[in-house]
Amino acid sequence: MPLDTSTYSLALLRVDGRRWNELRRLHAQIRIQAAADGSSYLEMGNTKVMCVLTGPSEPQQQQQGQRRGQATAGGGKDAAINVSIVVAGFASVDHKKRGRNDKRTQELELIIAKTFASVAHTHLFPHSSISLALHVLSADGSLLAALLNAATLALIDAGIPMSDYIAACTAGSTSSYAAADDSADPLLDLNTQEEQELPFITVATLGETDRVAVLNCESRVQVSRLEGMLAVAVDGCKEVKQLLDKAIKAKGAKMIREGAAEKSDAMAMDLDE
Amino acid sequence: MATTHTLLSPAELNYLHTSLSLRPPIRSDGRLPTQFRPLTAETGILQGTNGSACVTFSDGAEAIVGVKAEIEKTPDAQQSGDADEKKARGDWVEISVEIPSQRDDDAATVFLGEMLREALLGDGEFAKKLWINRRFHWRLHIDILLLSPPLSYPLPLLSLTTHLALLATRLPKLKSEGDEDPMFDDDWESSVFVYPREGASEGTRPPITLLVVTVGDNVIFDPTKEELAVAETALAVSVAEVRRERPRGGMEVDSKGRELKLLSIRTIDPPSRLTPPGVPNGTATTATEGKPAPSNLSSETPVAGVWKAPLGGTKFTVVDGIIQAVLEKGGVADEVLDGLDGVELA
Repeated sequence: MPLDTSTYSLALLRVDGRRWNELRRLHAQIRIQAAADGSSYLEMGNTKVMCVLTGPSEPQQQQQGQRRGQATAGGGKDAAINVSIVVAGFASVDHKKRGRNDKRTQELELIIAKTFASVAHTHLFPHSSISLALHVLSADGSLLAALLNAATLALIDAGIPMSDYIAACTAGSTSSYAAADDSADPLLDLNTQEEQELPFITVATLGETDRVAVLNCESRVQVSRLEGMLAVAVDGCKEVKQLLDKAIKAKGAKMIREGAAEKSDAMAMDLDE
Repeated sequence: MATTHTLLSPAELNYLHTSLSLRPPIRSDGRLPTQFRPLTAETGILQGTNGSACVTFSDGAEAIVGVKAEIEKTPDAQQSGDADEKKARGDWVEISVEIPSQRDDDAATVFLGEMLREALLGDGEFAKKLWINRRFHWRLHIDILLLSPPLSYPLPLLSLTTHLALLATRLPKLKSEGDEDPMFDDDWESSVFVYPREGASEGTRPPITLLVVTVGDNVIFDPTKEELAVAETALAVSVAEVRRERPRGGMEVDSKGRELKLLSIRTIDPPSRLTPPGVPNGTATTATEGKPAPSNLSSETPVAGVWKAPLGGTKFTVVDGIIQAVLEKGGVADEVLDGLDGVELA
């Protein structure tokens, strides 16, 4: 394994020098696109994604019903959430063209659309659609988590009411499926190298609560490891939520300082830094 | 067309058309006919690529281009023939265009990509830069991503971004000789630019494709969506700069002199042709007896102040005027290339 198990057990350090419960550098920005209703840019280590949101707007004819990555709840009473993911050809180390009909991409689109259809208050925008265009500029593990976080930020930027943040991250386990290795550690926030070798799950929670909104696992994992992984992932999500919150508050404070938004009386936030 | 339809009434279309056909034309955003929208550009934004660029127009339109190179074995490598002869093929360059909310096999998107590819390969010089030896060549993947929702026809934006990305593209320095398996210098600092810097060897620079529309006799560059909606003709004009090796030692008096080469012209179907015609005030528009307004309206002679969708092709003098405006010294292409020269290459 690239995260050479023997080395890991010696120093308890992963390939990129992190400890088991450390996140990669998370850098988030919102309102990066003047032309969009909401937009965000998110880096989790070397995974770099961008989200551009259009809407809520009148649904386009062609989009109705037949578009993939769509989650509608009956009769157009709620806003439809359309998600389209574009994985750039230059995103991974080797140039790989992923078509629009790539099964994996479609599944990611569906997961994201369904998650936000349940969290965002779509009933406030009947007969309309919210389109999320997600661009993957660089993929280095935890792709679904990064996309979910970026989508959360874009929805907040667009001012679409949600019950809480969706904060996501991955967790893995140092023991592979076959090894009945008792001393295995759970790992937080995997990169591509680790994802290729180790069993991992993607977890998204509703804000800082323990309520899990997304739990996705694509690899074989021993059931005895699952509990530990889940606990680490949920803790990681809480950390991610705070980082996302910080990015949004920083932008809000900046907008107030620049006079782009008005300071409200009820604001508890301290702007003097 | 990649543009979403503008929701303009025939009266509004006519207003725009009239103000744009004045001499000099009055554009809705106050620009001069040859003036471009201000833009911000950045290169070297993506670590995993050989070259990348990001360009943002002032209206918020944004595009990212990443160039990635791969080594590929040249099939049926000819054993015979001159070793110096570089046999290059245009299909070594792949361009893919991604526009949100549009399928990647959409005719308009494919046309857009081909237009950019055609200009790039137009002079036959570019593919030769990818030649390593008789057995191997570089395969260049150019991925163009439009990040913003398509506001206006994105051709100029995508072309300028591609231009910058290619200028910033570097390939590892070749260490091996002749036809042996290629070996490269692993120091990125010593890598070579695909389009070498100032004063280096001669050759063309990456092309730029400009979008030009005509309204009346006026030639207007970099049209907005509204201007495109009343255009009589829309042309995509590709030009490239030719760099000749200047004799060394001599004082370069005319260092600003730039030799421009016209690579291609393509007509683009402007959306104005699909707009509904206006109805003159005098005509009875209320449908008496349940009949719609007379259908021979479009064939009537144009009435001043009433919008009528343009018909027919472009006059030769108009095309000539466009080429003049693009290629003349201090013309639009000159100005754009000057502006792009100011972008720092990472």
